[in-house]
Amino acid sequence: MEYLSSNKIAIIDLGTSKIVHEKLDEDLVRKKIGGVGITCELYERYQKEDPIILGTGLLTGTLVPASALGMITAKNPSTGKVCHAPLTLYAGMELKYSGFDYIVIKGNAPKPMYLWVHDGIADILDAKEIWGKDVWEATDSIRDSMGDALIQVLGIGKAGESGSDFAQVCINYWASGDRWGFGKLFGQKKLKLVALRGMSLLEIADPEEFVRECKELLSTIKNGSFAGKQGIGELSAAIGEDIRKWLEPIIHRHLSCFNTPFPTNTFVFLDEDPKLLKESEKNEPGFLITDIYGLLGFKKLGLSAAESSTLLRECARVGIDAVAIAELSQKAGKTKPEEIKKSFADLKGPLENLAKGTFSPWASPRPIFADFALPPDGSQNLNWWDRRQAMAYIFGIHPIFALMSPELTEEKLTELATIGTGLDFTSETLDQVVRNIIK
Amino acid sequence: MACEMACGYHRDDGFALLSSCIMVTRGREKKDYSAVVVKEEENLVIARPEGLERRKLGSTGESNQGKGKEDASAKPLLLREPCDLCSDRQDGPLCLQFCPVNAISMG
Repeated sequence: MEYLSSNKIAIIDLGTSKIVHEKLDEDLVRKKIGGVGITCELYERYQKEDPIILGTGLLTGTLVPASALGMITAKNPSTGKVCHAPLTLYAGMELKYSGFDYIVIKGNAPKPMYLWVHDGIADILDAKEIWGKDVWEATDSIRDSMGDALIQVLGIGKAGESGSDFAQVCINYWASGDRWGFGKLFGQKKLKLVALRGMSLLEIADPEEFVRECKELLSTIKNGSFAGKQGIGELSAAIGEDIRKWLEPIIHRHLSCFNTPFPTNTFVFLDEDPKLLKESEKNEPGFLITDIYGLLGFKKLGLSAAESSTLLRECARVGIDAVAIAELSQKAGKTKPEEIKKSFADLKGPLENLAKGTFSPWASPRPIFADFALPPDGSQNLNWWDRRQAMAYIFGIHPIFALMSPELTEEKLTELATIGTGLDFTSETLDQVVRNIIK
Repeated sequence: MACEMACGYHRDDGFALLSSCIMVTRGREKKDYSAVVVKEEENLVIARPEGLERRKLGSTGESNQGKGKEDASAKPLLLREPCDLCSDRQDGPLCLQFCPVNAISMG
């Protein structure tokens, strides 16, 4: 695979410490396009070895607006169903430039390990120094030891190490859209984290045309219905849970994922003046809220924005899904931050809001801000959402932004994929790939 | 970051960050503090949340207005070609055109 690709797949066996590099077969890309089209194919190929597949979309890390998405495809350890979790912020982009398009992680390590993936090299390294550390400490430790603060870390905390059903794979210090307990899977494999860094060059089949089309698309998108809005507060209002006034006093700034026109993340200051412009002298003054539903869950317990955000920070340190913690706390009648924090390890039981689909419900199941011409009774929302998410996970588009930008059509993304790779993708191919994924 | 990718494209005709002369520093992630840095012929232009600074190349940052150590993630910029304002492009600098959140302007 010559264009928009590193042309390499890493097959990593944690059990034997053997790593094999394979070329990304152009015929596979012609048939499956990319992203979850290919991670699903790789999952099926290695399913007897309970693999975790890391991947990126065909357009991830390019100048296509919102091309921020990478993904984890694996079996949900609680339900046995194959699911996909989004990798946003800068993690998807970094994976794309790490020198590998896809990484297959199979087998179980005999002792704690971590993966260091960079510049077309994948190494399995001893994790004895970081096993037992929380997510924040482990991320700091890896970045300090490698001397590179831009390394992106997909890691677990104590929840994953101890086999919690709600353990989450976090991105650096922050919560991710992993609602499937993939953190437990990491823990079962004794895989503490995957550290990513890359300086690859992605070539483009028709560079000038591709960039011209991206520019035109971005100009159109920027005038979309999200214009002038930003952050978690606006997202909450769009889904009918307006928390803007509640959250506003602690907001420091809003943060976009790679090349994404709408900032879906909000940084709150908890131990510092939120209005501070200069650099805080405190090392850990706040928290980046990346998941609206965890925040809403704690708010429903009657907690303040600061208390809720502090609990989100604790969840991220432990590497546990805040949505599950909020729901189970409510069921257990726990409403005080300290008692919730102390009960992380003990909270068990089925979740009413257990995600049932293939794609993470981290992205709201409805259009956001925009009009996608769906029936007003909501009867088509779920089918539309599944298809929209499939499109996002195939091409590498931010899954929340995909819900607010009708301008990012399947036709346009297919056209960009064709211009960028020189391969002739058709709507029939995309249709077939989507059907296979959401069957 | 899109600005870095656009600049990298201007240099390499492909997507890469290695040769970009503009950079968003991301080394202080836990503090939510970053800056946009551009390498000019003789200066570094550093756009921080609290204001703009133009600093002669080669001068040290540590003594500058007590701001503390500079973000190490910006160091590679010093080895790269200076900004040419995309002089061969009719529409001007690509970084401006591709910033998805309109964070960059040219004065």
